[in-house]
Amino acid sequence: MKRIAEAEKESQHVLDQAERDVTRMKRELPSRIAFMREQILQEAARQRQTIMMEAERVGAEEAERVTSDTRNQIEALPKMSQARRSQAIQKAIDLLLS
Amino acid sequence: MSSGLEKLVDSIIEESRIKADEIRKQGHGECEQTLAKEKTEAVREADQISRQARAEAEAARNRLVSQAKQKARLEYLAAKNQLVRNVLNEVRGDLIRFVQNEHAYRGFLVKVIAQSIETIPSETVRVFLSDKDIRRFDPTSLIREACETVRTNKKVGPGDTAIDTLGGAVLTSEDGRIRADCTFEARLELMEPRLLTEISKTLFGS
Repeated sequence: MKRIAEAEKESQHVLDQAERDVTRMKRELPSRIAFMREQILQEAARQRQTIMMEAERVGAEEAERVTSDTRNQIEALPKMSQARRSQAIQKAIDLLLS
Repeated sequence: MSSGLEKLVDSIIEESRIKADEIRKQGHGECEQTLAKEKTEAVREADQISRQARAEAEAARNRLVSQAKQKARLEYLAAKNQLVRNVLNEVRGDLIRFVQNEHAYRGFLVKVIAQSIETIPSETVRVFLSDKDIRRFDPTSLIREACETVRTNKKVGPGDTAIDTLGGAVLTSEDGRIRADCTFEARLELMEPRLLTEISKTLFGS
């Protein structure tokens, strides 16, 4: 009978240990969740920064292309044919004298 | 210890171990389930951040390009306007040359005097010319030709002073209250918007 009582006691000890293990797991759960969330959200923030930087780079390139095209167009303006300038002057004179 | 008792003791301990494993397994399962649920939520938040980042990035890129386009449009427009203004200045230069062409300029003077006589609602009209034109042309002769052109009965005569102008004439009623300014300066000022439009149309086709 003594041996059985000891076995029962050891059995209860094993069960108690299991309960303690579960309690510990549950106690540690919030910090595991927090760590996991932090990892995922940090990665998202890093990706966000990469996306924004890439957009800024692409936008700046496109803006530079627009500026360059306009610069070329502006530089081409004074090279307009003299015939067209003379025509514009003549039209204006005709209007003034009419 | 008899083997029967030994078996019973082993069985009690084994049973508790199995039960302990089940407790652990269940506890572990619950924790993993919660963790998975939280992970799904965190991933959803991360996806939301990514979607928002892509939208913001697209907006930022568009803003940069749009600002550049707006700036470019303004610069191009300013350059075109400057070119049109330059041509208008050349028109002023051409007017000086036109005034030097005595024959053509005299015809113009007669025409503007004739056109303006009827716009002055007064029986007596005075015609004012520049000092240079007074010396170059006979004002009375100019006025006579203009009156013949419009066949008017008005009394039209030269003004008593010279006006400061590049070319053209100023006509007034006798008391000077009503005035028709047909100098080049006045015409240029009055017609500037139209002239700029016409020059722009000819240069750029719009």
